[in-house]
Amino acid sequence: MSAVLLIVIPLLMAFLSILSKKVAPYLLLLTSFASFASLIVDVLPLETITIGGFASPYGIELVFDKYSLFSLLLVDGLFLLVVLTVWFKQKKMASILLVALAGLNGLLLTGDLFNLFVFLEITAISAYLISTTNKQPVHTFHYVVAGTVGSSLYLLGLILLYNMTGTLNMSDMATRLVGVNQMAVALPFLLMFIGLGVEAKLMPFSSWIKGVLGHADSFSGPMIAGVYAAASLFVFGRLLDNVFVISDSLNLVILLSLSLSILAGEAMAYSSTKVREILLFSSVAQAGIAILAFMQGYTEFAMLFVALNASSKVVLFMIFGSVAKQLGTDKVSDMSGLFVNHKWTGFGVTAIILSLLGLPLFVGFTVKLGLLLSLFEDQNILFIAIILISSVVEGVYFIKLLVELWISDKAPKVRISCQFALIAVLVGLVLIALGLYWQPVEQFVDQYLYLRGGWF
Amino acid sequence: MPAIEALLLIILAGGLLTYLVSRLNKTLGMVLTILVSGFAFISVASYAQGAGTEFWNLPLPSILTFELTDTGLFFAVIVTFVFFMVSFFNPYYVSKLRYPSAYGMLFLFALAGSIGVFMTDNMLALFFFFELVVWSSMFLIPMSGAKKPVSWYYGFSALGSFSLLVALLLIYGESGSFDLYTSLNAVSGVTAGFVYTLLVIAGLSKLGGFPVHIWLPRVLGQSPDPVTSVFSGGLEKMGAFVSFLVLVRLTPIGTMIDATGLTVAQYVVATLGALSIVFGTLMAIKQDDAKKLLAYSSMSNGGYIVLAFSIMSTMSVAGGLYHVMAHALASAAAYLAIGAVNRQTGTTKMSELGGMIHKMPLSYLVYLIAIISMAGIPPMGGFISKWLIYQALIGKGLVLLSVAAFFGSIGSFLYVFRPLAALFLGQELPQFKKTIKEAPFFMALPMVILSLLNIATGVVPTYFLEYVNMVMAEAGLAGVPMTDLVIHGTNGDLHAALISGTFAVGVGVAFIIFILLKKSYKVGLMDTYTAANFIYTEELLHYSVNFYAPLERLYDKYTNMMKDFYDNLANKVREIGAFFKYFLYTYKPEITVLWIVLTLIFLLWGDIA
Repeated sequence: MSAVLLIVIPLLMAFLSILSKKVAPYLLLLTSFASFASLIVDVLPLETITIGGFASPYGIELVFDKYSLFSLLLVDGLFLLVVLTVWFKQKKMASILLVALAGLNGLLLTGDLFNLFVFLEITAISAYLISTTNKQPVHTFHYVVAGTVGSSLYLLGLILLYNMTGTLNMSDMATRLVGVNQMAVALPFLLMFIGLGVEAKLMPFSSWIKGVLGHADSFSGPMIAGVYAAASLFVFGRLLDNVFVISDSLNLVILLSLSLSILAGEAMAYSSTKVREILLFSSVAQAGIAILAFMQGYTEFAMLFVALNASSKVVLFMIFGSVAKQLGTDKVSDMSGLFVNHKWTGFGVTAIILSLLGLPLFVGFTVKLGLLLSLFEDQNILFIAIILISSVVEGVYFIKLLVELWISDKAPKVRISCQFALIAVLVGLVLIALGLYWQPVEQFVDQYLYLRGGWF
Repeated sequence: MPAIEALLLIILAGGLLTYLVSRLNKTLGMVLTILVSGFAFISVASYAQGAGTEFWNLPLPSILTFELTDTGLFFAVIVTFVFFMVSFFNPYYVSKLRYPSAYGMLFLFALAGSIGVFMTDNMLALFFFFELVVWSSMFLIPMSGAKKPVSWYYGFSALGSFSLLVALLLIYGESGSFDLYTSLNAVSGVTAGFVYTLLVIAGLSKLGGFPVHIWLPRVLGQSPDPVTSVFSGGLEKMGAFVSFLVLVRLTPIGTMIDATGLTVAQYVVATLGALSIVFGTLMAIKQDDAKKLLAYSSMSNGGYIVLAFSIMSTMSVAGGLYHVMAHALASAAAYLAIGAVNRQTGTTKMSELGGMIHKMPLSYLVYLIAIISMAGIPPMGGFISKWLIYQALIGKGLVLLSVAAFFGSIGSFLYVFRPLAALFLGQELPQFKKTIKEAPFFMALPMVILSLLNIATGVVPTYFLEYVNMVMAEAGLAGVPMTDLVIHGTNGDLHAALISGTFAVGVGVAFIIFILLKKSYKVGLMDTYTAANFIYTEELLHYSVNFYAPLERLYDKYTNMMKDFYDNLANKVREIGAFFKYFLYTYKPEITVLWIVLTLIFLLWGDIA
C-alpha cells in the first residue's frame, strides 16, 4: 500500500459518487473511515513517493514523513468526526466532501510547490461549496474573491521562484535557495505567505471569515474553522520549516504583523458579543501564535498547538452552530443559560475552553507551557509577553462566556443532539486525560526535538 | 499518612467521588467534602509534626516534585484548617447552590491546588498549582448567581499567575534549575529587578492589595458564604506566601535609603501595603453589606501582611506571619458568623437586619471575638501580630507607614463594630422575630473552634510563635526573643497572658455587676412616638444606614478611582478590537483585497528599506 491511495481513492470515489445519489453518502462515510483507519493501523510505510516514475526534481513527489503522518491523522480524524455527524443530513455534499478529502490529503502530502497550488485550488473550491450551506451567498462570494486572490498571489510568487531556481520540488528548491540573495526571494516569499495567509486566517487577509464563520452552521463551521484551518496551518509549517529562507529584516516585519494579528485578534474577540464571532476572532489570534511557533522553529509545539486548537474549534463550532441555528441568533445574551439543561455538553465545552486557555489538568497547559519554555530558552521574552497578554484577554472573554452559559435564571429551549454532546464529552475527556498523563505528549515532543536540548 | 503526591491524588479523587455521590444525594456529597478536607488537614498537620517525609514515585508529570519546608507547612496547615472548618458549612448550603455536585468537586480541587502551591519545590509546579487553584476556585464564585466577579477574578489572577510565571522563568534563566528554594537568590543585576517586581505583582494580585485589589471585594462580597470564608481565610494566603518568598527570601533591590533603613523597592512595596490598609479601611467604612465590609477589611489586613514583610526585620516578619494566621482564623470566623445569619435570614445587608443577638447569641459571640481580633485588641490573636508590626515600625522610625498602620487599626474600630451594632444588637425586626433560630450544631462547631483559637492565639502567643520562629529560621532571620509566656519586643515586653487575665477579671467583675443590678426594662420599638406622630414602620429608625456620612463625604469622589481605571482599560481593549473589526473585518471583498495589497507594500518596504 502506498500513501498515494489517500489522494487517489477519495478522488475516484468522488467521481463514482456522482453516479448514484443514494450510494454517495455511504461512499463518503466508507472512504473517510478507510482513510483515517489506514493511518491509524500503520499500513502505509513512511516514504517519499515519486509519481509516474520521473526522478525527484522533475516528477511530482509525495512526502509521507512523520510530519505529514501527524497532520493527516489529525485532519482525517477531524474530517471523519464531522462526516459522522452530517453524512445522512447533507446528502448533496457527499461528492464535494470526497473531493475535499482528496484535496486535503494531497495538500498535506505533496512535496511539490505547484502540485500544492493545485490541491489548494481543489480544497478551496470545495470549501466555497461547503460554505454555501450557510445560505449566505454574499459571504460565500466574499470568500471566493478572497480565496482566488490568495491563490493567485501564491501562484505569482511560485512563478517568480521557479524563474529564479528552475525547480518546483520543495527539497530541491530548499537546496537551491541556500546561496541565493535573500533580498531577491523576499517578494516571492511574501506573495506566497500572503496567499496562504488568506486561508490560514491571518490578519488582515482573512476578512472573509467574519461572514462565513460568523454565520456557520454545525457543518460548515467545524469544517472550515477546524479541518481546513488545521490543514492550511500544517502547509504553512511545512513551507516555513523546509523551504522558505527568510531574511532577518523580513522576519522582523512578519513577526511584527503576526504579533499584531495575535493581539488584535484577541481584542476583536473581546469586543464581540456573538458567540461565533468570539470563536472566529480567537482563531485569528491562535493562527498567529501557531505560525509564530512554526517560524521560530518550534515545530513540535506548533503541531500540538494546531492539533488542540483545531479539535477544539471543531467541537465548539459544531455545538454553537447548531444552537445558533435553532435560536436564530448567536448573541451571548440570548444563549445565556444554555448549559443549565445540557450539562454534559457544558462539561465538554468547558473542558475544551479551559484547555484552550492553557489551564492545568488539561493538555493545553502542557503545550502552552512547553511553547513558552522553548521561547524562553531562546530569549524571546517579547513573544512570551505577547502570548501572555493575549492569554489574559482571551481568558477574560472565554470565562465570561462560560459563566454566562452556565449561570442564568433562564434557559433557552434548544435541542443538542446526542452525537454533538457525545463528541463534546469525548474530546473533553481526551483533553483531561492527556492533561493528567503527560507521557504521550512528552514522547511526541521528544520525537520531534531536533532543534533543542530536551523537555523541561 | 500518605506521601504528598498521594495526598493530592486522594483529594482530587475525593473531589470526583464527591461529584458522583452528590448526584445521588447532595447532602451526603457535601459531608464527603468535610471528610476529605479533614483528612487533608490531619495529613498536613502530621507532616508538620515530622511524619510522611517519604515521597512516592508515581507516574505524574515530571515537574511535580515536592519538598517539605517549614514555610510551606506553616501556610499549608493554616489553609487546610480553614478549608476543613468551612467545609462544615457546605451541607447547609446545598439548596442555595446552582450546581451542588460540581461545587463539592471544585472545593476539593481548590484545596488540592493550594496544598500543592505550599508543598512543591519546583517552579513550574508552583505555576501549575497556582493556575489549578485559579480555575477551580473561579467556578465556585458564581454558584449563587453572581456572574460579574468571575471575570474580574480571572483577569487579576491571570495577571498574577503570568507575572509569577515570567518571574520564575527569569530565575530559571539565571540559575539553570527549576528548584524553587535553591535558585531563588541566583538572580542578580537587572534581572533581579524584574523578578522582584513581577513577584510583587503576583503576590499583591493574589492577596488583593492596592492597586490590584478590585476583584477582592467583589468576589468576597458576592460569592456563596463558604466560598467567601475560604477565599478570605485560605486562598488569599497564597498571595501572602508569594509575598513572603519575594519580600523576605529574595535580596531586596534598589539603593538603600538611609533615613528609613529600607531599600527603594522595599519602601515602595511597604507604601503599597500602607495604601492597601488605608484604602481598604476607608472603603469598609462605607459599606452597607456586612460581607463587603469584611471584604474590604480583608484587603486592609492583606496590606498589613505586605507592609510587615517588606520591612524585613525580625519583629515585622514575625508579625506578618502571625498576622497571616490570626487573620485567617478571625476572618474565617467572622465570615462564617455572617454566613450563619445569611442562611437564617437570607440577607447580609445591615440596613435590613437587627437584633440577631436575641435569636443567635452564639453567632454574635463568634463574630464579636473575631472582630476584636481583626481590630487588634487584646486578648485576641490580631493584637499580637499588630503589636509585633508596630514594634518594627516604631523601632525603625517609619513615621508615615506607622501612621497608615495606626489609621487602619483605628479605622477598623469604626467599621467592624458596625455589623455588630446594626446586625446583632439593637431592636429585633418584626420579620425575623418568629422564624429565626440559632445556627444548627454542625455550623456552630467550626465557629466555636475558630473562636477558641482566636482567643488562644491571643492568650498564649508564644506557643504559636515557636512555629513562626521555625519559618523565620528557614528564611535566615533571627527568631522573636521570648521567655515562657513573655515576648520581648524592641520597645518593651508583652505579657499576653497577663493582659488576658486582667481582661478576664474585668469581664468577670462586669458580669457580677450585671447579675446583681436590676434587670433592664425592654421597650418595643413601636412603643414610642416621635414629634407627636406614632411610628408605623420601625425600619426607618434603623440607624445603620449612612452611619458615617460626614466622614464618607470627605472621600466620596475618589472611591471609584481604581475601578474606573480598570473599566477604562477594558473599554480601551474593546475599542481597539472594534477599530480593527471596523477597518479590517468588513463584509466587503474589495476592502480585503485593498488590505492585501497594502500589507504587501508595507512588508516589502521592510526589506527594501
